[in-house]
Amino acid sequence: MDAGSDYYHNVAIIMLGEFEYLLITAASGLGDEAYGASVREEITTATGRKCSLGALYTTIDRLEAKGLLKTWMGNATAERGGRAKRMIRVTAKGVLAAKEFYDAVVRVSRGAAWAENQAGRDS
Amino acid sequence: MSPFGWALVERSARLLQGDDQESVLGDLTEENQSAWRGLFEILNLFFRRQAFLWWNLKPWIAGFLVVLPSSYLLMYVSVSVSCTYARLVYHKLLLGKAYTGPEGYFLLLCHIFLLLAWSWVAGYVAASLSRRTAWVSVALAVATCSWYSPQTTWGDLSIPRILFFLFVPPALLGLWQGFRGVPVTRNVAALLAIAITLLMIIAWSRNALWSLNWLLIWPAWCLVTIAGKPSLVAAQTN
Repeated sequence: MDAGSDYYHNVAIIMLGEFEYLLITAASGLGDEAYGASVREEITTATGRKCSLGALYTTIDRLEAKGLLKTWMGNATAERGGRAKRMIRVTAKGVLAAKEFYDAVVRVSRGAAWAENQAGRDS
Repeated sequence: MSPFGWALVERSARLLQGDDQESVLGDLTEENQSAWRGLFEILNLFFRRQAFLWWNLKPWIAGFLVVLPSSYLLMYVSVSVSCTYARLVYHKLLLGKAYTGPEGYFLLLCHIFLLLAWSWVAGYVAASLSRRTAWVSVALAVATCSWYSPQTTWGDLSIPRILFFLFVPPALLGLWQGFRGVPVTRNVAALLAIAITLLMIIAWSRNALWSLNWLLIWPAWCLVTIAGKPSLVAAQTN
């Protein structure tokens, strides 16, 4: 394995943080409607916790630098006072990283009381 | 949000970069946040961004290894050049003999060139290494100059205080050029570094260079390593 592929292999297996996972999952669920405010609302609704714009945008930058997200400035809308949205799209690498995180959570949760109860309720 | 509150939020959003400003103000409008909440969100993002910059080594190098020692030493060099000039041209001894020695006109010219070159290089390297923390570098230089202000540490002042800050104009020019990403080729940087080194050796060999001034050589060679690299231009977005 050369240095380049070794680097990308290492990047791919780095586990996401909890908030990074939430952000990627929210953006993925929103699809073409994923941008700063909509992702923030989605995370707040799902977790019941307020997320600050500072945390949101710095995490978006970090994930974009890792190649897990792609962002661009969208069109301005009247609802936003004529200001543009920062649109977000999850890349294939981002999907893979989120799936790895999810699988790891599921694996590590096997045997945990709350996971057993959840499984029982679901079935 | 009241017009006054919104004006406050818009003004504070200027702390953010262009795209950040646009998207954050849009998000706040869409969410119909209060002025205080908006102000908190903007400051939160600004400080997080600033903190993130300091995870990199470059701002530390620019601030604490280039600007801090350079501004301290260049104050002394400015005084030394002024004293030598006064002694040679006006036959006056300013601040006693401490800041001028056996220098003739040749060494005076050497010192003037070195003062200009050291100052410009320090400013240019500091801004090139980390543009977005350049304000911290400037604050450090101002703090250093204030701390060692002439009034408190130099005793009786028989010369205009402005002579202590001869290094400021070339340093600000370098800072501005580094900030704007004005390119410097590797050859020019190498030529400048070699000239500085040679003149320092000449001055040193004639007992006309303070030992600590050797610290001023490293920004010049640092410039050689960063000059002409694409990363120097890319650094302008950092």
